[in-house]
Amino acid sequence: MLGSLSGSRLRRTAAGYALITPAMAVAIAFLFIPIALSAYWSMTEYNGLTPPHWVGFHNYTYLLSEPQFTKAVKNTVIFVALGMTVGPALGLATALLLNEKVPWRGVFRTAYFLPVTASLVVVSVVWKLLLNEDGVVNAFIELFGIPGQAWLANSNTALPSVIVASIWQGLGFETVVFLAALQSIPAHLYDASKVDGAGSWARFRHVTLPGLRPTILFVFVIGIIGSFQVFDQVFVMTGGGPNEATRTIVFDLVERFRNLELGQASAVAYLLLLLLAALSLVQFWIDRRSRR
Amino acid sequence: MNASNGRRALIFAALCAGSLLMIGPFVWAIGTSLKIPAEVFASPPQFIPRPFTLEGYKDVFTVLPFPRYLLNSIIVSVSIVALNVVFGTAAAYAFAKLHFPGRNFLFGALLVTLMVPFQVNLIPLYRIMVELHKISPVIGVDTYFGLIAPSAVQVFGIFLMRQYISTIPDSILESARLDGASEMRILRTIIFPLARPAVATLAIFTFVTAWNDFLWPLIITNSESMRTLPVGLAMLSRKNSVNWTDTMAGTVLTILPMLLVFAVLQRRFIEGLTAGAVKGSG
Repeated sequence: MLGSLSGSRLRRTAAGYALITPAMAVAIAFLFIPIALSAYWSMTEYNGLTPPHWVGFHNYTYLLSEPQFTKAVKNTVIFVALGMTVGPALGLATALLLNEKVPWRGVFRTAYFLPVTASLVVVSVVWKLLLNEDGVVNAFIELFGIPGQAWLANSNTALPSVIVASIWQGLGFETVVFLAALQSIPAHLYDASKVDGAGSWARFRHVTLPGLRPTILFVFVIGIIGSFQVFDQVFVMTGGGPNEATRTIVFDLVERFRNLELGQASAVAYLLLLLLAALSLVQFWIDRRSRR
Repeated sequence: MNASNGRRALIFAALCAGSLLMIGPFVWAIGTSLKIPAEVFASPPQFIPRPFTLEGYKDVFTVLPFPRYLLNSIIVSVSIVALNVVFGTAAAYAFAKLHFPGRNFLFGALLVTLMVPFQVNLIPLYRIMVELHKISPVIGVDTYFGLIAPSAVQVFGIFLMRQYISTIPDSILESARLDGASEMRILRTIIFPLARPAVATLAIFTFVTAWNDFLWPLIITNSESMRTLPVGLAMLSRKNSVNWTDTMAGTVLTILPMLLVFAVLQRRFIEGLTAGAVKGSG
């Protein structure tokens, strides 16, 4: 009995290793090794052809003082800051509307979710058409006497245009997530506050918002991390231009990669990682503090 | 009563306007794909294509290599889904229910990589693929292997499946073991059927991510014949003089399969894309 028990335990241990082997093999080859390699390369001058040459932290100090990279950081921060305030706010507003007893709610929800199913490339291509100088957006605003713009070719309007297209794409995701959270707030909380004579703003402030708190945090975490990696929209809509007005961190990384500055590109990647890790710590801290 | 009816009418109107803004661009894209190039930027804008033509779709299927892009996208996405479902679930079962030395350490090591953005792996991954291609022409850069392998097992998928499998009672597994079932058999005949909702979520999530993926397919493909739909479409839209009817026909072709999946599996689809959103953060 004892023998067979330990035998079956041994079999289970063996089975455990066998079952994780494919996943671990992929993770080691295409995750752990690359993460370590790019840490090393970020400390070297490397063009992919001749062996990497150790330069210590030079790539990092160089990047932080280089106008192209700092411009890319600035653009990305603007992209995240605008996208992650306007987007979730619109998403929450839409979810609050969808949470009311109105007809066609399912239809509306599907409509808002449609852009989420499309890839960022599709969305970007479609918006490139809409925002064309002779396009339908200009035709529309000209009806109101506003002169048409070369939205994507003007360095003042290019980044805002990319931001609008991105918000449009993500709105349905934020809406659906907020809607699910709204519907999970127990109705008796609203009833109780009504009995206490709370007005609709007070109910929103003291029942809805606290109930949504974890979801709001989730939307920000996912959204901010994703937004900092913005690339597809920029590549398709503006190619980083005009005059680097839409150059973002990942676009900058890909440019350096294509110019065979692999050391610098790796340093960009690690700066992005550090930035996201720092943000996660801040979010974790906010979460802890607000729970207390 | 009247005030609340008025309020509801207002909300309804706002939702109609918002939905129009969401659907409008798609309708415009479809309309454009059915126009002749000279009419794309006609002033005033023409909502109904006149003359109506399928030239754009003909170009996309005959002149442009879109059938090949479509085939590539299908091969790559379906392979990635299958590999993730099989290997991801297998690993998740082991991490959730089997005890072996190093289990928590290995799972922890995987979870830590969730913090690492893909761009950190991008360059070494490309160099690894360049080296692999020297070993054999069917692996590495510009091959299906290169497109598929880095996404073959996704840590988020393992995490998702492990969460679900953890909720399956041990007693079911124990009685199967007493009946002499091997762990492989338990995985096949108990875990997979019981974890079907989670498998569906994983499959949808992985399919959408793979189908829409852009950065990696852009980097790893060189030849036209290996491009996926998003890469082919992006390249078409970046030409100096864009043929917008062809580009929009390509756009429609790119989103159509996704819309079909969405139409059939709408509820599951939304759950899959917002996986863990509400429950996970609560």
